[in-house]
Amino acid sequence: MHEYSIACEIFEQVIATAEAHEALEVRHIILEMGRLAHTNPDQLSFCFKAIAEGSIAENAEFVVEMIPPSLECECGYTGTVDETQIGKDGELRSELLEYIAALECPVCGRNARITGGRELIIKSIDIETEVEK
Amino acid sequence: MLMHVIHMGHDVFKANDKIAEKNRKALDKHGVFSVNVMGAIGSGKTTLIEEAVRHLKEKYRTAVIAGDVIAEMDASRFRKLGVPTIPVNTGKECHLDAKLVEKALDEIDLENTDLLIIENVGNLICPVDFKLGEHLRAVVVSVTEGDDIILKHPMIFKTAELAVINKVDIAHAVDVDAEKMRDDILSLNPDVPVILTSKHDWDSLETWISFIELGLRRAQEAQRN
Repeated sequence: MHEYSIACEIFEQVIATAEAHEALEVRHIILEMGRLAHTNPDQLSFCFKAIAEGSIAENAEFVVEMIPPSLECECGYTGTVDETQIGKDGELRSELLEYIAALECPVCGRNARITGGRELIIKSIDIETEVEK
Repeated sequence: MLMHVIHMGHDVFKANDKIAEKNRKALDKHGVFSVNVMGAIGSGKTTLIEEAVRHLKEKYRTAVIAGDVIAEMDASRFRKLGVPTIPVNTGKECHLDAKLVEKALDEIDLENTDLLIIENVGNLICPVDFKLGEHLRAVVVSVTEGDDIILKHPMIFKTAELAVINKVDIAHAVDVDAEKMRDDILSLNPDVPVILTSKHDWDSLETWISFIELGLRRAQEAQRN
């Protein structure tokens, strides 16, 4: 569980950016989270709320967009994992395991290199400012 | 009131990766080979590192970073071996990050170090997303964690460059098939070397130690060329 320290980092970045733009309030925080990152969106949002209390971001809503893993293979294939296939084999497996199993190259079957899906990006924030800046 | 959308594009993990790259450069500059030893709680990380230090310290100037929630306990074990040891208390944190290692590197005489072993916090989840700047990512599990431990923690095995299954001498007693564990690791990461070890079996320890030495020698050769 390291959501708390990640939430601290997000809070610092968001506040710095919001203040630089003379925000009165932060309404939304849009995050891009890789499917392979070990971060729980609900815990992250919970920690953020605790940290942001009393700040201009205290009522900010988290919008988390999940990013599928992308891969690059020696054979030249590059692409993202086909998410429609996740969870289809009916076995009792974790979602993370499903994604990792899907990291084989769909063209040649080799174990492909992970090029995306591990990130946690603060994509943008929606802020409110005075009418005249 | 006016609403604005402010684009940020700030990657939280990339901030750590950048410091990790800086650490790596500092290590490379001084020809230090570093191993990040990750693994489960009680899997035997400290014991395996002790064995490696004991047998490599005469040939290579060795230092240890001992990361733990309370790092002093393990650090005192390494200090007994007479090598420079930096304890890094993570407090409530479940992993080492590049910033903590950067601070620890300040306390190590890199100019007079060949090998740096970093013991991460006992955890198979959190250390995965935090690069430290290491040259070799090793993960240690033991049979006592049960043979489904691998598939429950796929990312750490998927991204490891060396996997160790420890305490195989008691596999029968805990009703675990170490070979199944090896197969599970290889199903996630077909190219990773997997070593089965027991602290009572010197040959197995020698394999673990030789692997570190091999990486170290390769790095030293690359440095010379």
